[in-house]
Amino acid sequence: MEPALLVQGLAVPFGSGPGLREVTFDVAAGERFVVLGASGAGKTSLLRALAGLSPVTDGTIAVRGPAIYLHQTPVLFPHLTVYENVAFPLRIRGRPQAEIDSRVRAALASVRMGGFAPRMPRTLSGGQAHRVALARAVVARPALLLLDEPLASLDPTLREDMRRTILGLQADWDGAMVIVTHDLDEMSALADRVAVLLDRRIAQIASPAELLSRPASLAVARFLGHLNEMPVPGDAVAVFPPTAVRPQVDGFRARVSGLRVRVRGTTAVLTLDGAEIEMSVDPLQPPEIGDELTVGLDPRGVLKFQNVDTPSVPMSSTRIVS
Amino acid sequence: MGRRIAVVILALSALMPLVLLGLWSVGDHWFFPTLIPPAFTTDSWRATLTGRLGAAALISGVVALATAVLGCAFAMPIGRAMARLSGWRRHMASALAFLPVAAPPIALGLGLQYAFVTLGVSGTIVGVIAAHVVSATSFLAIYFAGVFTALDPRIEDEARCLGARPLDVWTRITIPIVRRQIGDALALGFLVSWAQVPLTLVIGGGIVRTLPLEVYDYLRAGETRYAATGALLLTVPPMLALLAARRERVAPL
Repeated sequence: MEPALLVQGLAVPFGSGPGLREVTFDVAAGERFVVLGASGAGKTSLLRALAGLSPVTDGTIAVRGPAIYLHQTPVLFPHLTVYENVAFPLRIRGRPQAEIDSRVRAALASVRMGGFAPRMPRTLSGGQAHRVALARAVVARPALLLLDEPLASLDPTLREDMRRTILGLQADWDGAMVIVTHDLDEMSALADRVAVLLDRRIAQIASPAELLSRPASLAVARFLGHLNEMPVPGDAVAVFPPTAVRPQVDGFRARVSGLRVRVRGTTAVLTLDGAEIEMSVDPLQPPEIGDELTVGLDPRGVLKFQNVDTPSVPMSSTRIVS
Repeated sequence: MGRRIAVVILALSALMPLVLLGLWSVGDHWFFPTLIPPAFTTDSWRATLTGRLGAAALISGVVALATAVLGCAFAMPIGRAMARLSGWRRHMASALAFLPVAAPPIALGLGLQYAFVTLGVSGTIVGVIAAHVVSATSFLAIYFAGVFTALDPRIEDEARCLGARPLDVWTRITIPIVRRQIGDALALGFLVSWAQVPLTLVIGGGIVRTLPLEVYDYLRAGETRYAATGALLLTVPPMLALLAARRERVAPL
């Protein structure tokens, strides 16, 4: 099937540097495509370029129909009711009133705001305003919806609520979404596929599970938070997550030099041959600082890279077109 | 007690001139030091319906209304463009917009007169309206620059992003959001034109007789009764505007 969005060889200027270059990807109808990158990587510039709001210096963007860009914080029209806000894209297209009414009610229901139609925007909470903005964005059935960190400004409860709302949008709308974020949780919660934007290029395109288990390069692995790196023979680096470090009877001797408590799990910092690595531990029964442990590596969690620039994982497993 | 006295004094100082004007407008053969007019007549008030005062009030009303509407129509896009500028550009635009206000009306009038004579509108009501509009556009543009600076630019961006054409953005988003401020601007444009004398005099060349000009002439001719009647008519629109302003709910943008 023809993709909803086809981006080829795009160059997008931003900031004072050289800008993004050679950005190539495609998004199918009904697909949620996440662009993951650090703050300042040019994600928002890319999104605005896709929306036609920012200039591009090279390449092509082919969208099958209109694209709608949604601000990070919702911008509702302050003088219109919730109903009229959502009806706005249909009114300016001159749709008949009966169609407007049924589509506005369906859109409001899909974001669970059906009872709020007569309310004014200033009476809504932040989360409710977000949902209304989403309903207004999809009511005219755009081919492409562009979302800028849709969960970033929300507290944990609202994030889950918003995530469900975004996933629910595609129940009766088959448009594609491009979502930019710097947040791994947001990425894994929303993405069908993900592109990692590093060093002003797309470094990898993969499914979330594939990306997290097989990052294409050392830089991607580092960005994804594979905390441990150890040099191995042959000018290579072994990279592994704290979960790959296990207690092992005949393993290496290591000493616990610290503990780190994170949302993703508690780790013990081990000193091993002068290097520091982190190991996942039971947060309720962590080892004591100064304990001596013998540890080994789960080989399934270990990735080897020749050096920073050369990926050892074959790129054919991704959908990069070059 | 002290406060009550202050209020009474304030009320008297505001109302006394109006009361005196009222007396003057109906007093016949009334000269100093008589406190109350010896006789009353309503001939000057009848003149507001049929005579020069009525015609002048009508002309003033037409000129002021046209000035308010055209001034707002020009000043709104200018003010909105100014609000999107920043730094020295904003400063330059503000200074430029303010120039016709800062310049003495006589100077502005003479400059415009030269242009209007060539256009053949000097001494016509069209010319007077055009001159008033130049001045009104100037201060209303500065007013609207302030209004649009307070308006979140992302609201208009959002409308465009949702597919609105520029006209849709104006008619469905921008104008409805600032409709109260537009009302204020219309009132301001009307009132300034309504009381304008120097520009009318220079451009109108004494042919276009607005209400303040008639009041001037009556005063110079010693026709106190007619001058007082005209002056009372002049206070009607400002009073209405004040009453309307009092009733308005103060709402943020």
